[in-house]
Amino acid sequence: MTRVASIGRSLARGGAGEARRAGPLEAAERRAGFLFALPVILLTGSLLFLPILQTVYYSFTQWDGITATWVGLDNFRRLSSDPVFWRVLANNVLLLAAIPFAILIPLLVAFLLHQHVAGWRFFRSVYFLPTSISWVVIGMVAIRVFARRGILNDLLRMLGIPLTTDLLTTELGAMLAVSLTFIWSVFGTNTIIFITGMATLDRDVYEAARVDGAGPWAVFRYVTIPLLMRFIQFAFVLTVITGFTALFSLIFIMTTGGPGYGTTTLEFFVYQKAFAQGVFGYAAAIGTFLFAIVFLIGLVQRRLLRSQED
Amino acid sequence: MLRRAARAAVFAILFLVAVVMLYPFWFMIQTSFRSKQQFQTGVGYSLDSWAGLFDAIPVVQQLVNSTVVTVAAVLIILAASATGGYAFAKLRFPGRSMVLLAIIAGMMIPLQSVIIPEFVNISQLGLVNQYPGAVLVYAALGTPFATYLMTTYFRGIPTELIEASLIDGASYAQIFRRVMLPLATPALVTVAVLQFIQVWDDLLIGLLFLQTPAVRTITVGLATLQSSRIIDVPVLMAGSLVSALPAVVVYLIFQRYLIAGLTMGMSR
Repeated sequence: MTRVASIGRSLARGGAGEARRAGPLEAAERRAGFLFALPVILLTGSLLFLPILQTVYYSFTQWDGITATWVGLDNFRRLSSDPVFWRVLANNVLLLAAIPFAILIPLLVAFLLHQHVAGWRFFRSVYFLPTSISWVVIGMVAIRVFARRGILNDLLRMLGIPLTTDLLTTELGAMLAVSLTFIWSVFGTNTIIFITGMATLDRDVYEAARVDGAGPWAVFRYVTIPLLMRFIQFAFVLTVITGFTALFSLIFIMTTGGPGYGTTTLEFFVYQKAFAQGVFGYAAAIGTFLFAIVFLIGLVQRRLLRSQED
Repeated sequence: MLRRAARAAVFAILFLVAVVMLYPFWFMIQTSFRSKQQFQTGVGYSLDSWAGLFDAIPVVQQLVNSTVVTVAAVLIILAASATGGYAFAKLRFPGRSMVLLAIIAGMMIPLQSVIIPEFVNISQLGLVNQYPGAVLVYAALGTPFATYLMTTYFRGIPTELIEASLIDGASYAQIFRRVMLPLATPALVTVAVLQFIQVWDDLLIGLLFLQTPAVRTITVGLATLQSSRIIDVPVLMAGSLVSALPAVVVYLIFQRYLIAGLTMGMSR
């Protein structure tokens, strides 16, 4: 599964309002608190928070990994006039086009699963299975699906459709292939999120809707979806963040960002600039930009959740 | 609920979706048992490609590498997130909410945004191509979400249990070991399973921090097999199968913990 990076919640509220005890017991608790929190603080401090500060700092420098010279906003200026950067950004937007499908298909299937027909538990396990598979393996198989002499064309021939595809050789086609693979991969996770959500809904609501004469589609459209909004939002944010930050391996295997820059997304662009071309400062600027986007998505989600709670 | 015909239709759709989800696995298995020629003609089976895979990369060594790196990273994550979760959920100390907020914000840091300094720092420590370098990076990246899960879980354990033990004269460390940890077993399993799959399946960190074939993980080994332009599809499928199998087995045994982890991530 992806790094689930989207759920900052009301957790941090903590002990406000708890009565303060004085004396040795409180001092012992404080000491224990510091000691038990120390491993997390040291680990994330040195290997997560320090590096992100470094990335932001080095994005204002010209840097080859050893010496860095301060150049102010130069990297960002160059970025904004780099046509490749705009192309890459457009690819991220294209990837967003996959999101509605990555939400709606699981939503429909979860609705069907929720009817609890024979074997639904088995189906649920099968749908969730790809969650355990690495993007490398998924990419390997995806190439054979979309290749000229691949599974997709075999299928089209079997169905008697007179069409031969060769998606991986054109820029838009490759993006389509990556998007389809992405939708397939997140299908299981999103289905599980929605089926979990549906299990929390009151049966009476469905009963009432049916008594009112609502058909299955009306129930789905006017009862299930509105009641599941919180889960849909969670899945949406999770899927966007996955698309923006977890597809490196898939792209690396399927297309290496090509043809041309056809499937180079922001995260892949960071890798190319840093580890293929060695322009660390410039790559750090892209990394900073990506961080800003993801952080913004997270903040918006928190805001949305809070407004729902009120 | 539904009429018989409708239920049959639902079953048919769910079955079709299952086929779409399972076909790639079937393709991998079937193809791996064919030689290159058999794959092209679609006739016959053999073990040629499996032999070819073991010739192309040190499969056993790389499986060992994956196991060592993954298990070490998961153990560190478990230790850090269990102690941290206990502290954040049950112990009052100054700055607690600030630190927890930072950890939660840490879940939103994309790997690609830290990978460059990470790589430079680890190379300056001389830890590239050594297990500890990759292990530390995996551990640091997995810890925020794990700590979030553990904190949520410990919040659900009544504070009265701690107070009772304190009256009995137990120290906070003893309470952690004897009361909290045993109660937290399901959450620990969830964290371990999630992180095992995460680390085992990773490519980028392995690619950068474990570069020589002798220390590569199997996932990285498989990726290099692909980029070495061997267009021998059956060999690649055999490799895919080998690299996927351990994580799939973990999934099949522990899937309800994985689902629990996902729903815990959603809980407020």
